[in-house]
Amino acid sequence: MTGRDHARVPTQLGSLLEVNGVSKRFAGIQALGGDDGLSFQIDRGSFVGLIGPNGAGKSTLFNLLTGVLPADAGTIVFEGNDITAASSHQRAEHGIGRTFQTPRTFESLTVLDNVVVGATSPGERLRSALGRKWRRHEAGLVEQARDILDQVGLADRASEPVGDLSGGELRMLGVARQLIRRPTLLLLDEPTAGVHPLLQDRLADLLAGLHRQGMTLVVVEHNLHFLLAIAEHILVLTQGRLLAEGPPSHIRGDPAVVSAYLGEDHAA
Amino acid sequence: MNWPQLLITVATIGSIFGVVTLALNLQYARGGMINFGIVAYFAVGAYTYAIITQPPPKGLDQYAFGLDWPWWAGFLLAGIAALGFAALTGWPTLRLRGEYLALTTFAFAEVFHSFLLNERRIGNGTVGLSNVHRPFGDWGPIEEKYVFAGAAALLLIVTLAAFRQLLASPYGRALDAIRDDEVAAQSSGKPSADMRRQVFLISAVPVGLAGAVYAMFTTLAQPSLFTAEVTFVVWIALVLGGERSVYGAMLGAFGLVFFEEVVRALPFETVRSAQIAASVEHIITGVLFIAVLRYQPFDRIQRKVRAST
Ligand SMILES: Nc1ncnc2c1ncn2[C@@H]1O[C@H](COP(=O)(O)OP(=O)(O)OP(=O)(O)O)[C@@H](O)[C@H]1O
Ligand SMILES: [Mg+2]
Repeated sequence: MTGRDHARVPTQLGSLLEVNGVSKRFAGIQALGGDDGLSFQIDRGSFVGLIGPNGAGKSTLFNLLTGVLPADAGTIVFEGNDITAASSHQRAEHGIGRTFQTPRTFESLTVLDNVVVGATSPGERLRSALGRKWRRHEAGLVEQARDILDQVGLADRASEPVGDLSGGELRMLGVARQLIRRPTLLLLDEPTAGVHPLLQDRLADLLAGLHRQGMTLVVVEHNLHFLLAIAEHILVLTQGRLLAEGPPSHIRGDPAVVSAYLGEDHAA
Repeated sequence: MNWPQLLITVATIGSIFGVVTLALNLQYARGGMINFGIVAYFAVGAYTYAIITQPPPKGLDQYAFGLDWPWWAGFLLAGIAALGFAALTGWPTLRLRGEYLALTTFAFAEVFHSFLLNERRIGNGTVGLSNVHRPFGDWGPIEEKYVFAGAAALLLIVTLAAFRQLLASPYGRALDAIRDDEVAAQSSGKPSADMRRQVFLISAVPVGLAGAVYAMFTTLAQPSLFTAEVTFVVWIALVLGGERSVYGAMLGAFGLVFFEEVVRALPFETVRSAQIAASVEHIITGVLFIAVLRYQPFDRIQRKVRAST
C-alpha cells in the first residue's frame, strides 16, 4: 500500500526534470520556445512558480510536459529518462501529475469516484477485473480518497454527482484526484482561480505540506500574492520565452520582469 | 395465436439478440464507440460455426470447407473468429471517433456482406450454408425448443454476469472516465487507446457466440440473415431499452423481438394484409425510436431512482 503518511524523502538531489530546446507552434505561430527553443531544469523537491502574461505559453508548456500535445522540437528528460516520445498516460505512470486550467471531471462518476479513479488500481487490468483481489485494495483507495477530500474541503460532498459542484470546488477536486496518485512532480494550472480566499489558504498549507514531504511542485498562478508566498523559485515566461528565473525576492526586484509583467505597483 | 410457441421463440431469439445488444451497450455506452457494423461479427460467428461443424463438401456442394467437428468446437471457434475479426477491423478503425468510426464499421460490414454474397467457396454465396448442425435434440421429456431457449438464455446470463462484473470493477470505472474525458483520464494514467481496443475485442466474443447459436437455431448461415437491418434492429433495441443500463439494453432486445414475433404471428386473411402489417410494424418501431430519443424516458426514470435513494 502507498500509505499517505509515508513521507517521501528526496532520494537524490539535483534535477528531476530537464527541458531542452522545446518548442511548439500552433498554425505557424510560435506559442512556446523562441529560435532555439525553451530550456530549463526543475530540481528535485523544489517548489517552482511559473508566471507570465496571458498567452505566454504556460498551459502549453504543461501540455508538452504531460504529453497532451507533442512538442515540435526538443527533448524532455524526467528522472533521467527521455520521455519526449512517451504517451500521456505513460508520463502519468512515470510520476508526472497535473491539473488543468479549465477543470476536467468525469461527469458520470461521483465526487468520491472522481478522486479514486485518479489512482491506478490493480482492478483496472482486464484480467484482475474479473477476479476479486482488487476489492481489498479498493477499500484502501476509498479511505485515502475520503481523507484527501477532507483536506480539500469536499468531505461532505463525496457521494454527490460531480455536476453538483461549483467552479471552485471542481478545481479542488482536480487537485484531489492528483493527490491520490502521489506524483513525483505535480503541475498545477491556476489552482486558486475562482477559489474562496479561506480555501486558498488551506490550499497553500496543503501544497506546503506536500513540498515538505518531498513532492516537486510547479504552480502556474496569476495570483502572485498566493504564489510568491509559497514558491521558492520563480520562472517568468513571456511570449514563449524564459524572461527570468530566481527566488521570489529576486524576481520582485528584476526591472525586466517588473516592466514586462508585474506592473509598477509590485516594484515596491 | 399459439402463445407458448411464440414465447419460446421470443425467449430464444430475444436472448440471442440480447447478447448482441449487451455487447453494443458495452462498446457504446461504456466504451464510447459507435459500431454500425455489429452484424458482421454476428455473421462471422454463424459462418464459423457452420463451416466448422458441417460435413466436407460432396456432390453438388459449392462450398469448399467443412470440418465436421463437434458442435462445441464450432461454438468456441465462433467466438474466437469474431475476436479475430474484431482485431482485424479494429486495428485500422479505432483511431477514429464518433461518426467516423460508425461509418467505417458500417462499410466493413457491407464489404463483408458482399464478400459472403459473392464468395462461393467459403459460404456458398447467396444460397448460404443450410443444414447447419443442430446440437441439442430433445432431452428426455424436454423438447428441443426448450433446450434451445435454455441454451440461448444461458449464453445471455453468462454474458451479462461477465459484463456486469467487469463494469462494476475499477476497469469499468476507468472506462467511464475515458469516455467522459479522455485527456483527463490519460493524465490519471489510464491507457485509453489500449482499453478501448480491449473493449472492442472482448465484446465481439459473445456476439460471435450468439451468431453460432443463431445459426444452430435457424440451421442457416445465409447472407440474407446478416444484412445491415440486423445492426439497426440491435441499435434500436439498445436505444429503446435505455443505453445506460445493461438491463435496459436487454429489455429493449426482448421487447423488440416480442413485438416483431407478435406481428408475424397474427393471423391474416390475405397476403396483402400481412404485407401491410409488416410495414406498419416498421413504422411503429420507427415512431417508438424517435419518441424514445425525444423524451428519453429511461434517463428520467434512472434519475428519479437515483434521487430517491
Ligand atoms: N490547442 C491550441 N490550438 C491553437 N492555439 C493554441 C492552443 N493552445 C494554446 N494556443 C495558443 O498558444 C498561446 C499560448 O497559450 P497558453 O494557453 O499556453 O497561454 P497561458 O500562458 O497558459 O495563458 P493564460 O495565462 O491565459 O492561461 C496562445 O496564443 C494560445 O492562443
Ligand atoms: Mg493557461
